[in-house]
Amino acid sequence: MTSTMLRILLVTDTDKPIGEMREALARLGYEMLAEAATPQALPKVVERERPDVIIIDTESPSRDTLEHLAVMNEAAPRPVLMFSHDANQQLIREAVDAGVTAYVAEGLAPERLAPILEVALARFAHEEKLRQRLAKVEGELAERKTIDRAKRLLMERGQMSEHDAYATLRKRAMDAGVRLAEIARRLVDAADSSR
Amino acid sequence: MDTDTLAASAPDIAGTLEKTHLRLGFVALSDAAPLVAAKVLEFGHRHGLTLELSRQPSWAAVRDKLLSGELDAAHALYGLVYGVQLGIGGPRADMAVLMVLNRNGQAITLSSKLAQALDDTGNLKAALATLGRTPVFAQTFPTGTHAMWLYYWLAAQGVHPLEDIESVVIPPPRMVDALARETLDGFCAGEPWHALAEANGAGQTVTSTSEIWPGHPEKVLACQREFVTRYPNTARALVRTMLEACRWVDAPSHRKEITPWLAKADALDLPEALIAPRLVGHAGGVRFAQPPLPVAFFDGGAVNYPRVSDGRWFLAQYRRWHLLRDGDSAGENDAAIAAAINQTALYREAAALADVPVPPENRTEVFCDGATWA
Repeated sequence: MTSTMLRILLVTDTDKPIGEMREALARLGYEMLAEAATPQALPKVVERERPDVIIIDTESPSRDTLEHLAVMNEAAPRPVLMFSHDANQQLIREAVDAGVTAYVAEGLAPERLAPILEVALARFAHEEKLRQRLAKVEGELAERKTIDRAKRLLMERGQMSEHDAYATLRKRAMDAGVRLAEIARRLVDAADSSR
Repeated sequence: MDTDTLAASAPDIAGTLEKTHLRLGFVALSDAAPLVAAKVLEFGHRHGLTLELSRQPSWAAVRDKLLSGELDAAHALYGLVYGVQLGIGGPRADMAVLMVLNRNGQAITLSSKLAQALDDTGNLKAALATLGRTPVFAQTFPTGTHAMWLYYWLAAQGVHPLEDIESVVIPPPRMVDALARETLDGFCAGEPWHALAEANGAGQTVTSTSEIWPGHPEKVLACQREFVTRYPNTARALVRTMLEACRWVDAPSHRKEITPWLAKADALDLPEALIAPRLVGHAGGVRFAQPPLPVAFFDGGAVNYPRVSDGRWFLAQYRRWHLLRDGDSAGENDAAIAAAINQTALYREAAALADVPVPPENRTEVFCDGATWA
């Protein structure tokens, strides 16, 4: 390591095991500060310890606390610019996709952040997240087709306009306390079974 | 995507949609109601859009995902959009406000102890002095609406928000705990967090934000400006969809109907009984003899027009509180910045398609300290 050892703060206020990076980063020669586990504790820790890099779960509710410090306090680390055209853009995007966000002291060279993010990436695989996302999109498309079918059934049977068919579906959904897609599915299922 | 089927089943699409599946971000607040209604009742289908809602744990996450493209648009604090446009404390990008999603409906709650001191002394400055230490107030995002309402309210009562108090950001669910433990003296945020603070006996709502600026803009439908230039027909269809959702959810009976959906685990994940009263507008805080102006989602279309003067107000406040320094964005004037962000032309097209009247461009706002803004 260089003589100016980077000081790293890990924020461990979510289920994601951010704290597990501690040992690996310490082995790389970084100075690891005591972890902060609550947003209330963050302002004092940042002011006292002056970290160069803060690593936090992308989904942490404490992130807005850090945003406020970045705006109000010149010495506080800033959120990383994920879309600047530097060589490590891909690495930073991957870290964010994996669920890790970094706040970095102004003027810190991207290449000094890279090994820290590499450790973070090694800890957090993100394939599972992508799989879930795909399944959700497919589900949305299937729902949409069902709603279109239910609407056409109503239009044909009830001799109603498209607008009225929608209004009927909405009313039934609200009356039954279920989503529009669910009402549509029931209607289509009933039609299919009576065929 | 099967565009032929979509075109056949949605005959009133205005122009070919460049994109039909949209991911919309929201934060767990009662004023996310139009997005929840739009999804539950699929208001987008008529205009060829499938909406997917994605709850976000912080405003920073909303911003990052708008910038990465993971979200197409989001329920966002008015000021967040302006903060990103100016690069205040974080990344800078060209942003757009498609429409205003609601006005009013936020509040300031003080700890029970401080609320009592306010009753005893009759003025905020004297009440704060009884604490015997620097008062701590929380809001939700440095450039956001709650920070601006809080700062304006304090300053109007002779309390300097940058010198006389400590301003912090903590997530709203934690504000109530902090208030109860007296590590926090007051907060400005959305609902139902004030209702929760009163229900827990941790604090009392002393001001509705409609008393600071009646009819203030609050959450907007935000996106990157690139989204509008790349997908203009999609953006117009989205505004049209959300105008219809706002119109629907604004009716008192529909506010009641949407409450169980807001209460669900994938939305606010809080009891209906906490959300309903202040959303419907039947009850304010315990201290209000008359309920203050409730949150407004449509009001005949008066709510939703992204008036440029509203945007300029935020820029003026950023200068007032030194978030924007003299010399920053030099050469550009505030009106030009706001006119580039607020998509008034697109809004007018969408409003015409949705048969929603557009309110007059010019309006004079009157604030709690008697100041005016136009």
